[in-house]
Amino acid sequence: MIEREALELDILFVGAGPASLAGAVHLKRLLRESGQDASVGILEKAVEVGAHSLSGAIVDPRALRELFLDKNDQDFPFEAEVSEEHLYYLTDNKKIPFPFIPPSMNHHGCFVASLGKLTRWLSEICENEDIDIFCGFAGTELIYDEDRVIGVRTGDRGIDKNGAQKPQFEPGADIYAKIVVLGEGTRGSLTKKLIHKHNLMDGRNPQVWALGVKELWQMPAGTVQSGYVAHSMGFPLGHDIFGGAFLYGMKNDIWNLGLVVGLDYKNPGVDSHHEFQNLKTHPWIRSKLEGGKVIAYGAKSLPEGGWYSIPKLSVNGAMLIGDSAGFLNGQRLKGIHLAMKSGMLAAETISIALSENNFTEIKLGDYEDRMKSSWIKDELLKVRNFHQGFDHGLFGGLTNAGIGLLTAGRGWGFKDRLTSEAGHLQMEKGLKKDRYKDLQFDGTYLFDKVTDIYHSATSHEEDQIPHLHVNEPDICITKCAEEYGNPCENFCPADVYEMVPDGENQRLQINFSNCVHCKTCDIMDPYQIIDWVPPEGGGGPTWINL
Amino acid sequence: MDILVVLEDNHGSLHRMSKEAVAGAQKMGGTVTALAIGGNAEALAGELSDIDLTEVITVNHRLVSSYNADGYSEVVKQVIESESYLSIVAGHTYQTRDYMPRLSAKRGIPFIPDIISFDADGFVKQVLNAKLNAIVSTSVETFILSFQSAAFSDEDLIPGSCASRPFEVNLDASMVRSETEEPFQEDAGDVDLESAELIISIGRGIEKEENIPMVFELAEALGAEVSASRPVVDSGWIESFRQVGSSGQTVAPKLYFSLGISGAIQHVVGMKGSKNILSINKDPDAPIFEIGDYAVVGDLLEIIPKLIEALQTEKNS
Amino acid sequence: MKIAVLIKQVPGSESPLPLNSTQTWVDEAQVTYTMNPPDNYALEEALLIKEKVGDGEVVLVSLGPERVKKVIREGLAKGADRGIHLEEDSQIETDPLSIARSFASVLQDENFDLILTGLQSDDTGMGQTGVLIGEFLEMTTATLVVETKILNGQIRIKRELESGWFQWVKLPLPSSISIQSGLNTPRYPSLKGIMGAKKKEIRVISASEHQSATRAQAIDQVFVPQTTKKTEVIEGNADTVVARIVEILKYDVKVL
Repeated sequence: MIEREALELDILFVGAGPASLAGAVHLKRLLRESGQDASVGILEKAVEVGAHSLSGAIVDPRALRELFLDKNDQDFPFEAEVSEEHLYYLTDNKKIPFPFIPPSMNHHGCFVASLGKLTRWLSEICENEDIDIFCGFAGTELIYDEDRVIGVRTGDRGIDKNGAQKPQFEPGADIYAKIVVLGEGTRGSLTKKLIHKHNLMDGRNPQVWALGVKELWQMPAGTVQSGYVAHSMGFPLGHDIFGGAFLYGMKNDIWNLGLVVGLDYKNPGVDSHHEFQNLKTHPWIRSKLEGGKVIAYGAKSLPEGGWYSIPKLSVNGAMLIGDSAGFLNGQRLKGIHLAMKSGMLAAETISIALSENNFTEIKLGDYEDRMKSSWIKDELLKVRNFHQGFDHGLFGGLTNAGIGLLTAGRGWGFKDRLTSEAGHLQMEKGLKKDRYKDLQFDGTYLFDKVTDIYHSATSHEEDQIPHLHVNEPDICITKCAEEYGNPCENFCPADVYEMVPDGENQRLQINFSNCVHCKTCDIMDPYQIIDWVPPEGGGGPTWINL
Repeated sequence: MDILVVLEDNHGSLHRMSKEAVAGAQKMGGTVTALAIGGNAEALAGELSDIDLTEVITVNHRLVSSYNADGYSEVVKQVIESESYLSIVAGHTYQTRDYMPRLSAKRGIPFIPDIISFDADGFVKQVLNAKLNAIVSTSVETFILSFQSAAFSDEDLIPGSCASRPFEVNLDASMVRSETEEPFQEDAGDVDLESAELIISIGRGIEKEENIPMVFELAEALGAEVSASRPVVDSGWIESFRQVGSSGQTVAPKLYFSLGISGAIQHVVGMKGSKNILSINKDPDAPIFEIGDYAVVGDLLEIIPKLIEALQTEKNS
Repeated sequence: MKIAVLIKQVPGSESPLPLNSTQTWVDEAQVTYTMNPPDNYALEEALLIKEKVGDGEVVLVSLGPERVKKVIREGLAKGADRGIHLEEDSQIETDPLSIARSFASVLQDENFDLILTGLQSDDTGMGQTGVLIGEFLEMTTATLVVETKILNGQIRIKRELESGWFQWVKLPLPSSISIQSGLNTPRYPSLKGIMGAKKKEIRVISASEHQSATRAQAIDQVFVPQTTKKTEVIEGNADTVVARIVEILKYDVKVL
């Protein structure tokens, strides 16, 4: 019997992202106002808050203003108010401005921000509210009492690559809580288990995803206007792959450049990292980066399915918030304000549940009711069919989106709900993989994955079992090699998966140490045999302002 | 400026870094005197008899016949009190790091350590894990300096002649509080790459595990340690403690001889401080050539056996 | 057994290092900070000694601006008993004597048996603070210690020497020791440790109470090292190449 540390808290949030941080702060406040108190803790797998946070981002200040009625916009840790915005259609060498920017794609009144900075700022407020944030602790299992979630077990630390205990071995701890709130972000690993066990996606559209890949560029002094915003479509993705690029001006002359690629493309040879490098060959982008130096690289998936892909949000003893629940507005490319609001609404329900000592599914269902009468629903309903229109290509998607503006979100103007298929099922067998034959990495503006990974400041304890569980590795060398040509080598933006020669054959080598925790492999592997589980706590990227 | 160079005994002979310190001191301008402490002081002084120094002071007192921090710091203090030197210089060795701060505190004079060069603006020291250099200056007349290994070269010693002179120090047992035992060597478990002077490093270009013993042969012929880049370690062809790079060790030897290493940035950050970089790679565009002193474009599997032979011949001639 | 562990907060190894406007140091606002990794080993050694001796106190002492409270709390979460924060006024202190005097002024009244430090800091890397303080407080000193054994009123330490040599030294307490990295395996903080750290005392000493007026050395400027390298390309058949390599080894690099 291993002796584990056991801790009892009232409320445990998993993941120190904007949803959990806002939720925890709001909860403490509500409790104070109602004369209660409760112990609130947040588990965070990264070595510090913000290290695994990545977004564009343009933040709608709505939720922050609601959470901090006593603060002004200048008090928030934004880079700059959006001062200038552009929307372009790119060919391989031209940029064509859209004649007008539709109101929902206009970011007027919003702020360019770094999610890492925002979460660190929120975490400091948490510290002052007596909320414990446990960094370096990964939630690996839900603890149940029959069908009720009663806590979370954290991962063991100090297990070597053969599964043996090292001298500093420490078994994971069991944290018991009256309510476990999962704010793990995109494709949360505990969330995945919860959804599966309780069939929380019944009756919903399957979630569909995208992968965002970005770099930060340090430019010469005075060359970047903070608050500058540009989005583009077309090159390099073309018309058959969902997505587009973003270029945001940050403080201190930093360009924030990225590409979002829908993870429902047909060609298994698509490589989002390479697409992003291709983006930088466009003369407009290239001119923006002239004289600059890359200072950071990162990637993270996003839930794009929208309103009809949101799972049932609570079970006995547990709730889902933020990206784990799929609260993202794909059309506005914004989710941080929705994440925060969801955390705050969850806090309202939790406060009542605590006062009544009732943590059942029915009581916690109050959160879903609140959500459905909040501006989260108002906003997401209007764009509920946005992503689905792109199943018909770029122009189909734009047309659908345009009509949607006039019909409050109906699909093609008349359908309340368009269906969609999970992205990994849309990959077609046998397509050619020569999309990048002309791509040359010059090492100054265009980088290979290995070099970009260096800039992602990612590291893991080397002597541990790889945290990417491939449940049937034989498929890699046989079926997958034949049918899809091992797309893992392409869809992973971090060079984790590599088919290497093994005598006369090949074998799958997993360079898990490069993993940036984007979850793309868990999402995109056509046979769904990859299970992303958290590595030993503290491992992963150490992003600062991504 | 009157400079006193404090010498170090390296298992019976004068430490190379002490010679380098003398060479550096000779460049500072002013008179240079050396100080040898310990049971072997006379012999150390003798090693500098043909070097341009004012003199070599020797201190041989039973309480400092072998090194201890209390004794050595007190000895140097007494020497500089009696003869009023302005700067005290030594090689930046473990021993210097151990007792020079004691002297600094005793006399209230600053110790500027691990200098890599100096000019009219001040002394240059690496900071932030050698990512930046700093110019350090002092506002006082008397200060202590230590020079990094190979910052100066014993080849640049200005020849001349000097004699030694014994110096009487005032030490009693109460001043030396430590009980030191004889130094001893331990079985080298892990290889100490960080202090290796010569390193041969293996990359993917070695192609097969079967080719690795040949590299060890070359290493033996050169008296070098063997390290490797990450892919070689990941393939299980060599022990992980030999890994050089951002997730391995950082080295800065006199010679880094890479074989079949492409020069990915993760590897380069672990060895770019090396004084001389000699690389063999088939690919003329390999990034490692950008930071190298010598770029050999060729097939290492052909070159290594011939190189081993040639080195044997050199040894025998 | 009263043990002080001096810890420093330094730029993290992954942090960007943009220079400040006067190029006298890095722009602290853009840097991310962490506990100086060598200090982690010193802290672990202190906790191990306290556990072995069976009683005592481990006190963390750190000099710096407000943000250093974070590393003090990290140390408290790992098991240290209390902390002392020496406030640093405006910019980073770079004069070791002045830094040591600040620490000594606070440490002297507490009569520590042991002061442990990391071997050097990852920022300025002067590597002297522990020994300077030891001299100011008339303690015995040792550096690059890879093993410690507490005896009655004494400490026996194993120092690392160059090239695989070592030496045991016995010193009377009180003693100030710098710890070589890698001698132990720093523990992870436990959940309860993290929660309990909030309640442990951190005494704050303002700059005016400990700072000295004089500085004997300063960092005037920092800059990115330029490498002006000329690469000699060697091509040809294997024999030609080998001959040139031997020449290089013999005459240029001089290792033969």
